[in-house]
Amino acid sequence: MMHIERGPWREMVNHAQAAFPNECCGAMLGTIDGDSKTVTVALALDNVSEGSQRARYELRPEDLLRADKEARARKLDMIGIYHSHPDCDAYFSETDLKNSCPWYSFVILSVYDGVFNHANSWLPNAEQTHAEKEELTWPKS
Amino acid sequence: MAQVLIPTPLRQFADKQDTVEVPGRTIGDILATLTSTYPELRKNIFNDEGKLRSFVNVYLNDEDIRYIGKDAARVLDTDIISIVPSIAGGSLV
Ligand SMILES: [Zn+2]
Repeated sequence: MMHIERGPWREMVNHAQAAFPNECCGAMLGTIDGDSKTVTVALALDNVSEGSQRARYELRPEDLLRADKEARARKLDMIGIYHSHPDCDAYFSETDLKNSCPWYSFVILSVYDGVFNHANSWLPNAEQTHAEKEELTWPKS
Repeated sequence: MAQVLIPTPLRQFADKQDTVEVPGRTIGDILATLTSTYPELRKNIFNDEGKLRSFVNVYLNDEDIRYIGKDAARVLDTDIISIVPSIAGGSLV
């Protein structure tokens, strides 16, 4: 299961709402204790997908390399990737699945009319044929 | 020896180490030695044909090995090798 602390959660929601009607993306850093992951830092990264970004995102590998270095410097682990779905639910689409990386958790924030609506975390399997929903909690107030 | 930085989720396949020192003069040598030492790493990094999986990029210091000779890229003892995923997606199927 994954818990996102208040600070990074606010940054992720703000990022998703600011990018609306486009998709935003970023990395989540934190700690892992067995099956329990806690996100303590959110790093907003550029969406470099070419063309319309209303239903597409792409991360630069160089930015992920930088995020990994940042995690090492802070003695944290890179836990996952987040992105938003403008005017869509937080499902893991076929495009998300095929272009994912089975090593990480994928948090999706659903934003309707520019306002955060709900979120889910997904774990793609090794073959990228299926993603399992992961229990996700965040501060509700 | 060059250092290979292991991404968090793969450390479980490398005796929990975050960094592994691997002998070798080229990227190809180093990845072969690394994945024969830690066979569980192999299927996370390479496909059945022995090629890097579609979402796996390898960086020699700050350069993608695809642009500096791929497996033949020369490696010095002071170099740092990173394994970095490609990630994209979108709500549209
Ligand atoms: Zn998506």
